[in-house]
Amino acid sequence: MSEKQELQIDEKLVKEIASLARLDLTNEETEMFVSQFRDILDYVSILNEVDTENVAPAYLSSANKSVTREDEIEESMPTKEFLANAPQSKDDYVVIPRVHMEQ
Amino acid sequence: MHLHELSIQETHELLSSRKISAEELTRAYLERIHRLDPQIRSYVTVADEPALGQARDADQRLKTDEGLTPLTGIPYSAKDSISTRGLNTTCSSKILENYKPFYNATAIRKLNSTNSVLLGKNNMDEFGMGSSTENSGFFTTRNPWNFDHVPGGSSGGSAAAVAAGLAPFALGEDTGGSVRMPASFCGITGLKTTYGRVSRYGLIPLVSSFDTIGPMAHSAYDVSLVLEAIAGHDPKDSTSRLEPVQNYSETLKKTEDLRGLRIGIPKEYFVQGLDAEVDASLRAAIKQIESLGAEVAEVSLPHTQYAIPVYYLILFAEASSNLAKYDGIRFGLSERNAESLMDVYLKTREAGFGAETKRRIMLGTFALSAGYYDAYYLKAQKVRALIRQDFEKAFESCDALITPVSPTTAFRIGEKISNPLDMYLSDVFVVAVNLAGIPALSIPCGIANGLPIGMQIIGPHLSEETLLRIGHMYQSQTNWHMQHPACWND
Repeated sequence: MSEKQELQIDEKLVKEIASLARLDLTNEETEMFVSQFRDILDYVSILNEVDTENVAPAYLSSANKSVTREDEIEESMPTKEFLANAPQSKDDYVVIPRVHMEQ
Repeated sequence: MHLHELSIQETHELLSSRKISAEELTRAYLERIHRLDPQIRSYVTVADEPALGQARDADQRLKTDEGLTPLTGIPYSAKDSISTRGLNTTCSSKILENYKPFYNATAIRKLNSTNSVLLGKNNMDEFGMGSSTENSGFFTTRNPWNFDHVPGGSSGGSAAAVAAGLAPFALGEDTGGSVRMPASFCGITGLKTTYGRVSRYGLIPLVSSFDTIGPMAHSAYDVSLVLEAIAGHDPKDSTSRLEPVQNYSETLKKTEDLRGLRIGIPKEYFVQGLDAEVDASLRAAIKQIESLGAEVAEVSLPHTQYAIPVYYLILFAEASSNLAKYDGIRFGLSERNAESLMDVYLKTREAGFGAETKRRIMLGTFALSAGYYDAYYLKAQKVRALIRQDFEKAFESCDALITPVSPTTAFRIGEKISNPLDMYLSDVFVVAVNLAGIPALSIPCGIANGLPIGMQIIGPHLSEETLLRIGHMYQSQTNWHMQHPACWND
């Protein structure tokens, strides 16, 4: 929010974020998000009022300290049942479209 | 007297004395669901055949009279973000429309082990993102008290099902008020549990550091029976609490008054914007609790106004990370009419996610991106620490806090859907609790213009027993929790 002055929320920024988020937004959605982002980011900027100079971030909600367990062999997830949810599978594998295109 | 009008304890007595069978009971609920739910739309999936199978198993156990618990043979429903083996678990998202988990959430497994009967899965805001169920990828649930109003969210389907007598209890899930707000809007009792008190294993995550499973029912006593069944440490959830589970219902039976309890009223929760009727109902409820022997004093939670921006910034960030797994490769929707792997991702996510989900993924991706992390996410986590300290300080001088659940009663369907920020602000009294990981109970304490009003009782970590005692004593003196919508009698 210290960057607020330089932060330009426009179609270009929204499209960049959409690409990072792997969302193929329609032009209509892009336009709508530009104005809604301005409102929402403007609203959250009230956090700038709070002095957090010497405050450590909270992060975890758990009361448990670092939890470890014995590394015991257990039955694995049932491959066939798992693959029943896959959009496409063959033998014991998930099928995906080609990643490397031929030259 | 119809079966849906009985408390869990009364139903248990009929089952254990074999005046009714679990199968008859389950059939009665399924019949109500098929008759009334086409209007209310609280269920995404009704599990007729599996439920009858579970009911017959429960009847076998009831015959042997061995290992019975108060929930043996009792039907229930679950929010559709809680994994159920072989039964669609959609999070009300098109991206998971046909997803069938191959394992049960720990909470479901525990209810199975006592032969409770799962009637079906409840509608919700997609992945838990919303305060009205209008963001469901399938349809909007209606408030049983007035079909033009929202049931609240995101566990709106679960709240509506219990309020309309379509399940005696439900498992909800609370990330930022998602059990308490719909409980309040639908006039039922709902508990947001201490973070880690109930295992999150098999709960499809929204915000991993906020998410909690909690019971929704008609009374604090019924809630206590469900909590006993689902709480406890789970090796499959390293954030689940190690402390033993208390015998909450026994404590409630022995409670006679609230003498010795100190109740704080946070002044920041009784401010401008609070409906006059809500304010009046809360003040009457506080008087009632005082008359039961509790001491009441004003306290301050000075960082209250920052809870909403902190909550949403952390939610955006964690949710965008949690939703990265929906890419059309291993499960869920997959748009395969695509030229490349990247194209599968883009088309699947564009087609599968609703507008609010996309908005939050976008905002989270932005808040976590290079150059903005410190200003948004890190800043929010620091203010979160201050909000937590506010609660810790308040609990030095009191055992519980009482606040409204929502500044208003249930709003109209469509009223806030086009203004996301306005919708976010309706969570103003509920999100701070999730930032601190503490428990809170929502119980009905009034009715205005035919719509219920809710009171929130907040306590320190693992204070469920205290909260339920306060709720139970209040409900032993008042009958707001016995008020029902018109469709209750249908």
